[in-house]
Amino acid sequence: MSRTHINCIVNGEPIDFLAADATSLLDALRDELGLIGTKEGCGTGDCGSCSVLVDGKLNCSCLILAPEVEGREILTVEGIADGDQLHPLQQTFLEGAALQCGICTPGFLVAAKALLDANPDPTETEIRYGLAGNLCRCTGYDKIVRAVQEAAVQLNSTSKQGV
Amino acid sequence: MTATENSTNYKWVGTRPIRHDGFDKVVGKARFGADLDLPGQLHGAFVRSPHAHARIVSIDTSAAEAMPGVKAVVTGADFPALDPTHPNFDTAVNCMARGEVYYHGHAVAAVAATTKAEAKAAAAAVKVEYEALPAVLSIADSMAEGAPLANPNNYTKFAPPGDPSNLATITNLARGDVDQAMADADVVVEMSFDCAHVHQGYIEPHACVVDYGDGKANVWCSSQGHFRVRSMTADVLGVDNSKVKVVPAEIGGGFGGKTTVYLEPIAAKLSEKSGKPVKLLMTREEVLRGSGPAPSAELRIKIGATNDGELTAIDGWMAYGVGAFSDMAGLIGAMSVASYKFPNLRMETYTALTNTPKSAAYRAPSAPHAAWAIESVVDEIATELGMDPIDLRLKNAAVEGDLTAMGMPHPRVGLVECLEALKASDHYQSEPAEGTSRGMAVGFWFNIGEESSATVNLNEDGTANVITGSPDIGGSRASMALMAAETLGIDVYSITPIVADTESVGFTDVTEGSRATFATGKAVVEACEDLIEQLKARAATIMGVDVGEVAWVDGAAVSPGHGGGEGGDPLTLAQITAQAKRTGGPLAATASLNAAGAGPSFAVHCADLKVDEETGEVEIVRYTAVQDAGTAIHPSYVEGQMQGGSVQGIGWALNEEYIYSADGAMENASFLDYRIPVASDLPLIETIIVEVPNPAHPYGVRGVGETGIVPPMATIGNAVKAATGVRMTSLPMSPPKVLKKLNER
Amino acid sequence: MSQHRAFTGGVAVVQADGATVGQIIDDLEANYPGLGMALRAGSSAGIDGEIHAEPEYVPVTAETEIYFLAPVVGG
Repeated sequence: MSRTHINCIVNGEPIDFLAADATSLLDALRDELGLIGTKEGCGTGDCGSCSVLVDGKLNCSCLILAPEVEGREILTVEGIADGDQLHPLQQTFLEGAALQCGICTPGFLVAAKALLDANPDPTETEIRYGLAGNLCRCTGYDKIVRAVQEAAVQLNSTSKQGV
Repeated sequence: MTATENSTNYKWVGTRPIRHDGFDKVVGKARFGADLDLPGQLHGAFVRSPHAHARIVSIDTSAAEAMPGVKAVVTGADFPALDPTHPNFDTAVNCMARGEVYYHGHAVAAVAATTKAEAKAAAAAVKVEYEALPAVLSIADSMAEGAPLANPNNYTKFAPPGDPSNLATITNLARGDVDQAMADADVVVEMSFDCAHVHQGYIEPHACVVDYGDGKANVWCSSQGHFRVRSMTADVLGVDNSKVKVVPAEIGGGFGGKTTVYLEPIAAKLSEKSGKPVKLLMTREEVLRGSGPAPSAELRIKIGATNDGELTAIDGWMAYGVGAFSDMAGLIGAMSVASYKFPNLRMETYTALTNTPKSAAYRAPSAPHAAWAIESVVDEIATELGMDPIDLRLKNAAVEGDLTAMGMPHPRVGLVECLEALKASDHYQSEPAEGTSRGMAVGFWFNIGEESSATVNLNEDGTANVITGSPDIGGSRASMALMAAETLGIDVYSITPIVADTESVGFTDVTEGSRATFATGKAVVEACEDLIEQLKARAATIMGVDVGEVAWVDGAAVSPGHGGGEGGDPLTLAQITAQAKRTGGPLAATASLNAAGAGPSFAVHCADLKVDEETGEVEIVRYTAVQDAGTAIHPSYVEGQMQGGSVQGIGWALNEEYIYSADGAMENASFLDYRIPVASDLPLIETIIVEVPNPAHPYGVRGVGETGIVPPMATIGNAVKAATGVRMTSLPMSPPKVLKKLNER
Repeated sequence: MSQHRAFTGGVAVVQADGATVGQIIDDLEANYPGLGMALRAGSSAGIDGEIHAEPEYVPVTAETEIYFLAPVVGG
């Protein structure tokens, strides 16, 4: 089986790896790069657990073929914090108990980051629709929505930008 | 908001620290079932039955074995044949069919190959010849006279020996004189209801990696109970428990669906045959086709009442459809009738087998179905009598000493307190918003105790490790740390709570039945109390006093009149552990118990909603969940359980259902078409924690995980009735079904 | 031994002798063949208000109320 050599930037670092043409970006991230933070919940783009940013846009990595990211910039959950310095979203998720089992959390953090990057002061309805592509079965979304609201407040009130 | 009768002031219990395992979960480091890779591992794939019921005539694996990368193939013949009376016989047959398949999706064979693609291709190359058998696909078909047998190994439980049957249980509970009470009643309402199968819907599909070596299967998997994974896997393989080690991964949701095994014995046998580790996962489609949904149900409930609102009699007929293997859903459903005094009661219930996937537990199993029906009928009675629905329930609410359906008196319970809390709430005191209508309903769950072990080790610097065997499905590690902190009197962040593998901690039952904070918490507290005795003895040695003169206060040893340590100060835990070596060695304690006295938890929910009369869509605008937690150890995670259960119930009420073809194949086996609630479907879920402490737990804990799923369907059904005048009797209340009923008005 | 009162699944009231739950079950089995096995298969009991899983050796007295229950599991 032939594999394509792919060069891209992942979480700010230039990376290269091999992948068969039919390999999803999700599988490449997990199996080739060992970035297990991005999860497979369904493999068909319906649950958002595999959410990543590709050139700043929110995508389901299970629906992208690995060769498609040649030359592109990818952000996964592993790239949201700055070392031990958590992003306000990660901090508010922890403080607000916005995770119970935590399997959907990476996808939500990536999706919420994309939401706040594009819309720094969303209404509750905008948050709910912005995150409607991410399934959570544990929390009922209440504490997730509140955590995103709180993170928005924090990001807007600080003079320094978050990641 | 907390309504409390508990006046004890705790220092740590009741606070909301960040959970100890949280950091890894928000940075993507936490490892779930699919997140481990072992060197040289193979990938597994299943072959599954395309028939709802068939005899396996032959399985030809030769083509598959010859394919590139294939290192092992297994069928049912690779596993020992257990006696049908063996407690894990059904589990073994469900993992892999033996001569007969019982549902569309039933595993027939599995392969292991060097890549996922090779495994998938090889699975497709396994040739299975079937002889189709008559399939039973509905409760009615299952219970019909002369129905074909869904599973020839099922016999009716708790009955004299007889022939195989489609009925796993037949239960009759009765007290008083139902027929007379109904004849005497001023108001009698009788209605029939039904519920389709729904899935627990955990976001993490089943996953494991098994490395077989030196006669032992080393299992990495996520589950709700790794000791059960061990015993089930050992039984299916036909080996001792000591030949299976299970390391618990983080678990991405279970809700009851991960209290059994589907993969681990298969992966173990593939690993044994290939000599390599085997990683075996379910795809989402396989989760829906091959793992247990909750039972379906048909229910007829008749309730009689007097004009002043006394519910005098209930007469119920309930049948639960549990898929192709024995289950006790009907019996548990009957037992779950426990919210009202009902001096006269009759429950006739059945558990019926069908050729569909084996049901698994789902959050308060069987109770949601029964409550859906009963709370709808109670609501009808409130309307007929012109009574406020809360007041009707307050008049009849079960209190300590009232009998449950099974005839046992309730211990101290908090239903009245929950009803009063809802009545006094901002939600209930406010008028429903313009265009919305309101409904409320009650729910109950027993909660269980069972076996737990805990080890608490004190480190040299006074920090502590709290080691348990209860998989953490919703923040229980934080609660273990809080209870340990409270008991020992040290900072909760001095404590490291972990969930250890089957070789590193004592036997612990599954995290199910809302038992972890109750039973494992009890074991943690007992271990800490043992440590306190040890600490006092060490302090006595250091202080040079008699141990009888040492007390433990706020995390330190004190000896009034003698002072302690240098300068007369108390000796802190850390000061004592610093001298552990001098005073006898490391400080450690273990406690194990079979916990009795689990306290039931009642919940009361309320919803304001609007119904779009053109589309049949229901929009929930305001939702409040009230629940008795006994004592909320970590209120954020108690609220989380209440909210999560509510939303699962909302999904069950409004949209979730298994849709089967005429051949018994699930037609909506994806998250696209089996649609669970998303954030844009819902409002915030307000929570009110009521605390009626359970006297049988040192901190008053009642399990809270399950009851939250019991009231939502009737809560919503009652609000839909208020909004439209239409009584929905079939779940889900999806737009086409609501619209149809609206148009029939 | 003194008399005891037990409820079996809320259906019937029977009396039985024994110093532990297990002995009660044996006595019931002697008088109602097959009942004992059924009771042990469903292995929880409510004893004086508390539910015990596998109550074989739980001691009982003349005043003890025993309710034999199906094993409730949960999810």
